[in-house]
Amino acid sequence: MTDPLWTVLGEKVEPTWAPEREWAVRAAIARRVGRQRALVRTAVGLASIGLLAVGGEAVLRWRSAAPLSPPVASSTIAGASATGTASRTGPAPSPDREAPAVTVTELSPGTVLAPLPDRNGRGFALQAGGARFSVPHDVDHPFVVTAGDVAIEDLGTTFTVRYLNASELEVAVEEGRVRVTRAGANTEISAGATLRVPVAPSVESSREPERAAEPGIRPEPAEVSSEVARRPPSARPASANAAWRPLAERGQYEEAQRALRKAGPSAVRDDTADLLLAADAARLGGNPAESVPYLERVVRAHARDPRAGLAAFTLGRVLLDELGRPSEAVNAFALARSAGGPLAEDALAREVEALFRAGDVTRSREQALLYRRLYPNGRRAKAVARFGGLD
Amino acid sequence: MPSKPNLRVAGPPPEIVPGGPLDFDELFARYGRYVARLAARLLGSGDAEVDDVVQDVFWLASRRLSNIADMVQARGWLATVTTRLVGRRLRRRRFRRLFHAGARNNDDVPAPGATPEQRALLGRLYEVLDTLPTEQRLAWSLRYLEGEPLDIVAAACRCSLATVKRRIGAAKKVIDEVFGND
Repeated sequence: MTDPLWTVLGEKVEPTWAPEREWAVRAAIARRVGRQRALVRTAVGLASIGLLAVGGEAVLRWRSAAPLSPPVASSTIAGASATGTASRTGPAPSPDREAPAVTVTELSPGTVLAPLPDRNGRGFALQAGGARFSVPHDVDHPFVVTAGDVAIEDLGTTFTVRYLNASELEVAVEEGRVRVTRAGANTEISAGATLRVPVAPSVESSREPERAAEPGIRPEPAEVSSEVARRPPSARPASANAAWRPLAERGQYEEAQRALRKAGPSAVRDDTADLLLAADAARLGGNPAESVPYLERVVRAHARDPRAGLAAFTLGRVLLDELGRPSEAVNAFALARSAGGPLAEDALAREVEALFRAGDVTRSREQALLYRRLYPNGRRAKAVARFGGLD
Repeated sequence: MPSKPNLRVAGPPPEIVPGGPLDFDELFARYGRYVARLAARLLGSGDAEVDDVVQDVFWLASRRLSNIADMVQARGWLATVTTRLVGRRLRRRRFRRLFHAGARNNDDVPAPGATPEQRALLGRLYEVLDTLPTEQRLAWSLRYLEGEPLDIVAAACRCSLATVKRRIGAAKKVIDEVFGND
């Protein structure tokens, strides 16, 4: 056997390199790249959490060692066993692991805030000044702030209560909603809204009316009524435009959708999480067509985001199942498939279905054969065989 | 004196412009088939294992694109990586055979254009190659089955020219003994 003959023989060794095989290898590489990215993200996330934990502990130790004489206090109160007061004159409350934490920030040195009895840290009486409350909603333990004869009850929110003067109170809501009760009348106000309400002077505040006029507390004309005073759009804070977001996060999609419509498209940030949340609000709020631009934005402008595949798959489902646009759904499912990951199999199966519904029988059969080759024991094999004409 | 193997110059295709930015899709489209062929010749095994090697090679390539200067260098880089990864697989295969003596199936060799005689000869050749040390096998296969010049073989095996000549010589001696050299 001479050496050139080995070379001739070697040239006979030639694997068949068909496009399907090439595609399958590329898809496998894409999946591996995706897995690696996810791994890196997880590692970075864990490292960040570790750093935050170490940093937080360091801050807590530093704060516990520092003298407690700040002019403006901020404290986190754990509901059930909070025995102290959030006012700067009171001792720091003890932490509690069971109840959600309430964060109280006093807005001026003259603020006097006393815990309400029998509320287990979920109620305070504002006697002077003002304070900001960030409150996780707890249906069983509503959080209440009283100021004179006015009671403000949270509905899962961050809000500020302060005396404008001895006879008027301002309640401003940053997130969520609160219910303000006075003289038996309820008024609910939501994010971005401010309520000014007359208040019968409490004993403490009538004794020390000057506290309400301390620096940092904005005096207002006395003729302001108790109606909800919405700020003009130009001066409206970002939270007003973001009113849809907490609603969507709580699963109140219809309300979120209405709020989103009111706020306009600019209320949605151009990041994947916000776009997906807006799409959910539209889709689950009963207007699937309005979710399409948000999902398309994710797919096109954030294609490198690991959630782009999910967005493409959701887009395909909306187009196919909700809007009856199978031709466009084909492209969306193809994108979801090329993104790899656990959705790739489902995406290919739905692509077969979309092709079938679009009337492209030839391609639906081709893709069905591809599915059968890639996922011989696939969980959607039956449906794929039906739509791909392989039965 | 033994005749020289059928040498082929491993130059780039004329349409390649050296020094251009490297795109993964283009790299895969251009060299996917080449890597699959090289892996098949070095392994002498079926499609599944070849696909695994191609996947491994291009996955590495996707992470090291910045290290590859251009399409011209890419071929040599891919040959080196393929050789290294195939070497790993061959070592694992030898190790497994220590415990599980699996007979080689001649149908494993992907040679669709070969005659039955050539197929039988290939099967017998890979049986002999399976008995050789991996380094010798890789060097001989690159030189004679793939027809690469010695400097490319040395680069792919990441050893000196002298070492690669020694390895090829040792493998050639065994193969010539089995098949004769007439």
